[in-house]
Amino acid sequence: MMTRLLRLITAAAFPAALALAVPAGMSAQGRPSPATTQAPSAAAAVAQDWAARPSSERTYTVKLDFNRWHDVSELQADMRTLEKAYPKFLKYISLGKSYGGRDIAAMIVNNPDTGPDTAKPAMYIEANIHGNEVQGGEICLYTIWYLMEHYGRIDRITRLVDERAFYIVPTVNPDGRDYFMHGPGGNARSGHVPVDDDNDYLFDEDGPEDLNGNGVIEQIRKYVPGEGTHRKSSADPRILEPVPPGETGDYVLLGLEGIDHDGDGRVGEDGPGGYDPNRNFPADWQPGYVQGGAMDYPLQLPEAKAVSDFLLAHPNVAGLQTYHNSGGMILRSPGAEQIGEYPPQDTMVYDEIGRMGERILPFYRYLVIWSGLYTVHGGVTDWGNDTLGIISLSNELWSSQQYFTSPELKEQQRDPESPIAPRVANYFFNDYLEFGDQLTEWRTFNHPQFGEVEIGGAFKKTFGRVPPRFMNEELCHRNMAFTLYQADEMPRMSIGATKVERLGGGLFKVWVDLVNDKLAPTILAKAAQNAVVPPDLLTLDGKGVEVLSAGWVPSKWRPSVARPIDQKDLKRIIVRNGHPGRTTRTVQYLVKGSGPVTVTYASLKGGSPQKTILLQ
Amino acid sequence: MRTLALRVGAAVLVLAASSAAAGRTDPPPQAAPAGAPAYHDYAALSAALKAAVAAHPGLAKLASIGKTRQGRDIWAVEVASAKGRPVGERPALLVAANFEGDHLIGSEIALCMIDYLLTAYASDAEVRQRLDASAIYVLPRVNPDGAELMFAPVKAFRRTNATPIDADNDGRADEDGPEDLNGDGVVTVMRVRDPKGPYAVSAEDARLMKRADPAKGEAGGWAIYPEGIDNDGDGFINEDGPGGVDINRNFMHQYPYFEPDAGRYMASEAETRAVLDYVLAHRNIAAILAFGESDNLIAGPARPAPATRLDLVEFAERSFADARRTGMVPPLGAGFGRGFGRAGAMMPGAAPAGGAGGRSAQGAAPAASGRGMRTVQPATSVNAADLEYLNTIAAKYREMTGLRATGLVRAPAGAFFEYGYYQYGVPSFSTPGWGLPGGARPSAGAVPPGAAPGRAGASPAAGQAGPPAAFGQRGAGRGSTGPAGPGSDAEAAAEAIDLRLLQWMDAEKIDGFVPWTPFKHPTLGDVEIGGFKPYAAVNPPASMIADLGRAHAKFSVYLASLFANLRIAKAEATALGGGLFRIKADVENTGFLPTALAHGVVSRAVKPVMVRLDVPPDSIVTGAEKISALPTLAGSGSRESYEWVIAAAPGSSVTLTVMSQKGGSDRATIALR
Repeated sequence: MMTRLLRLITAAAFPAALALAVPAGMSAQGRPSPATTQAPSAAAAVAQDWAARPSSERTYTVKLDFNRWHDVSELQADMRTLEKAYPKFLKYISLGKSYGGRDIAAMIVNNPDTGPDTAKPAMYIEANIHGNEVQGGEICLYTIWYLMEHYGRIDRITRLVDERAFYIVPTVNPDGRDYFMHGPGGNARSGHVPVDDDNDYLFDEDGPEDLNGNGVIEQIRKYVPGEGTHRKSSADPRILEPVPPGETGDYVLLGLEGIDHDGDGRVGEDGPGGYDPNRNFPADWQPGYVQGGAMDYPLQLPEAKAVSDFLLAHPNVAGLQTYHNSGGMILRSPGAEQIGEYPPQDTMVYDEIGRMGERILPFYRYLVIWSGLYTVHGGVTDWGNDTLGIISLSNELWSSQQYFTSPELKEQQRDPESPIAPRVANYFFNDYLEFGDQLTEWRTFNHPQFGEVEIGGAFKKTFGRVPPRFMNEELCHRNMAFTLYQADEMPRMSIGATKVERLGGGLFKVWVDLVNDKLAPTILAKAAQNAVVPPDLLTLDGKGVEVLSAGWVPSKWRPSVARPIDQKDLKRIIVRNGHPGRTTRTVQYLVKGSGPVTVTYASLKGGSPQKTILLQ
Repeated sequence: MRTLALRVGAAVLVLAASSAAAGRTDPPPQAAPAGAPAYHDYAALSAALKAAVAAHPGLAKLASIGKTRQGRDIWAVEVASAKGRPVGERPALLVAANFEGDHLIGSEIALCMIDYLLTAYASDAEVRQRLDASAIYVLPRVNPDGAELMFAPVKAFRRTNATPIDADNDGRADEDGPEDLNGDGVVTVMRVRDPKGPYAVSAEDARLMKRADPAKGEAGGWAIYPEGIDNDGDGFINEDGPGGVDINRNFMHQYPYFEPDAGRYMASEAETRAVLDYVLAHRNIAAILAFGESDNLIAGPARPAPATRLDLVEFAERSFADARRTGMVPPLGAGFGRGFGRAGAMMPGAAPAGGAGGRSAQGAAPAASGRGMRTVQPATSVNAADLEYLNTIAAKYREMTGLRATGLVRAPAGAFFEYGYYQYGVPSFSTPGWGLPGGARPSAGAVPPGAAPGRAGASPAAGQAGPPAAFGQRGAGRGSTGPAGPGSDAEAAAEAIDLRLLQWMDAEKIDGFVPWTPFKHPTLGDVEIGGFKPYAAVNPPASMIADLGRAHAKFSVYLASLFANLRIAKAEATALGGGLFRIKADVENTGFLPTALAHGVVSRAVKPVMVRLDVPPDSIVTGAEKISALPTLAGSGSRESYEWVIAAAPGSSVTLTVMSQKGGSDRATIALR
């Protein structure tokens, strides 16, 4: 690492002496380390000199921690801290209240000097709609933090913040997040709108219970020598494995930690909620018997309604990322096969973003939801793409492949006897990298319904679906980098070259280049087909100026007849299918009148550049 | 000028009433003299509801279940006697009307039903029995903003609420609505001689128009437009009028995606959500009777009435079908930029050979996991096991109302009553509330006196080809770029009933058609204005309301007699000695309907019957569990038996509870001796 840094600095033509001295004597903060003070006196003099200069390493205005998980109030407090530190750029808002009365907090990131957020193409980033899929919240926080701390420091970050707006929602399901953080919600996807899961006409009356108070919902097993279905594994006694057919084991599993709260003879059968918050959006929404957990009607859930109302009110959103876990996937819709594949113009855009993501995010695969994962009806990415015309992606954060990453270790894992063979890999990681912290031990417990049992044997909720804490900053950064790439490839319209030719008789021929230099079109092909996005508008304004004809120029460089635009009002031309990505179009006007005319290309998702041209 | 119609209305009342006897009946939506039958505007409806409820304090409650965009209340009336079981635990009938803004006849019938039930309670034993044991919830006007337009000075074809929608997606909402050019208080259609026009005067009736068929040597020569001007100068007339969303296109079953009058998305409207929240908060609703512009009662639940249309309206709407396509930039020639004009455009990074594994140019990498997984498809036809129940009810409906044939009806994509069966899981019906004379496939003829007269479905535009709605509504028009909704094929095949409707109006002396009259149009020049009047094809004359109301009120009482009725038929305990008791119980459904329809079970919309013996679980030695779930129990005395052996103190007692959503609950205390 240091060698690499050294090489970089040398390459940057710093004085050799300075470059060499860095590894020897400076800590990251630029303060002299103990080693420096013991250096030979000549070098010490130089070092003293350096120490007086500013450090080459950056310091941060706001210091946040990304190696742990934040509950809702911590997330919101950190957002407030950032807002206070960067009041010009950040605006903390609430999109609404969750069922449990918690704010669905969002941050608007925008540079007001370059215009209001609503006038810019915007990237919407949300996380944690599933209560137990927490780490996206930290990515959101990291993204806000990173953009602010590096604005004015890294040119590309500066440009992104100047050109785009960001709407960032660290947790769409704050009830679920706090249930995960503070309660027995280690596995709970749901929000907390009550549902009668067991059809006994009571709601949420019998949830899981952390009987031994260790913060983990664990398995319950009972020791029944010779009569059980499970046994301790010979590979590792902590593994409880089912016995082969025809044999008996010493244990039976009695389900997850809980008691019979409602006295119906069943344990933990009706916990909080009991639905899937990401099946409640009104695109390809299907009732519960087709799509489990969809609830009774779309946007019935206050959380889905709040974020949808926000998106509907912000048609400038051109990109959407919803962070989930886990598995290492970059997912796009369609969520169900019968929706049909998108038009090729759209899939090409998604494909390029997805493949770029596979390079930015090692071990992540770019997949279509229905074919690559499973069928999802009423998910937010279908809603985003199909009804809102937003390029919508969902990252399934964290892949278990990331526990052992090198090709050598992957090879070693193929050996079933290896200490990191798939069967025991998690135990190895827990033992040697987490120092045993992530696995609970079996302990006896006197259960009110089951008698004497053992509770334990569970990996904690902070293992498996979320990365190890020490790896989370990398997860945050890589996923942010991918999402910022998507944000940067949102459409960016500009007016390019213009040309005026005087024809006499008060007539002018005017050519205007319209440019979108980014990957994404201003309007997706599917959105144009279904007329779900307001059209782009090409307007020409000038005092006493009349447009006699307008046409698209097939080629600027060879003779061609402009294709007439068959619309009545040529001062306000509707461009219904928008402007494709990485494309320049030339419009040719035949104008009567003179003086300044202003051409504006108004695109909700691509910006609204304008240029004034003098006809004389 | 345009306020004329309404203002004059009151003054002309007497005249209208007397002229009715002399000859022509005024078209439905007119005010009437005191005491004479009339359609109710919002204020009159609200007053009538308040008065009815106030006059029957122990029998009716009025509540607002939501506010519309224009601030009107969506009223709900609960008709049930206050004594006896809590209303929420009784099976209930939901009557709901006027989802389509122009279908006021449903609203009027619903109002009559309330009055009938409240009045008859004192004298009619059958009514009393139903209102004691069950409940009838009435939503008389789900779309009051839309309905109010029937009382506007100028009436146009429109079914929607007041939500602004950019129907032609040109970046402006509601910028090109209809005008009453000839000042007759109604917006109809314009025909103009045009060598390129595809329409000709009908040979069957010179008032009607037909599409000329060149294959038969027919020449056109006429173009047809809705009455109005091109307000926004886009070359189309009335392509984006005020409002809105058709509430009966906004529910989730077979929702017609991307059609402008269906709303931006499912359940997008305050009216829709209010109704959904209401029915979900009243899970005791065991049957639904909706009034609307689709039918599954007159034609029967197995074969909903085929959609019909009015050609005159359809032709006019087609004139702006292209409005929603204007501005599609075609792919431009080779050498132009690097656009997406042709498949496989020159996009860096999009090359098929790209990533590992040689994936195709389009679509993300396929993986094995999702493909081949079993997926469930939503039901789109009535479950065979439910059909007999529904047919029985529909037959009774025809018998009780005398209705045999429908007029204007449309395919029910996104309609409330379809939600009622397919997602809410109860018997759910829709009727226009009246009909045209005739048999299963009627022709024009005399209307039996007293029976329901004409039956028209949609505002004339309704049920037309594909998405389009009435004038002033937004319609993608035939062949629009959006994918057609589920109902579209059926609607495109709809039969034109212009002639049938006109002949019926003639026979009934209903003033529902404006004769063609010359007019100087600002941009089209010499035109003729005429055609069907808004509302006239969808609503019968007010004089028919009372009879229709009475017939439907009686039908609602019949419906309420069918509900499942869950009871504990037998509950007994036998001592086995040693502190053990055998308990036997029979649970019975004495009603006609099952506790859940087959589709209610399949769709998991209706909870199972719960049978619960209220004892500590560990006191049960053998037999059933403490709680059993029975998916459904058929009616007509069907029984299910349960048995437990429990340990209990002799001399004590245990309670047996049975609960259902649609058939009530029962409780028995069993003494252990």
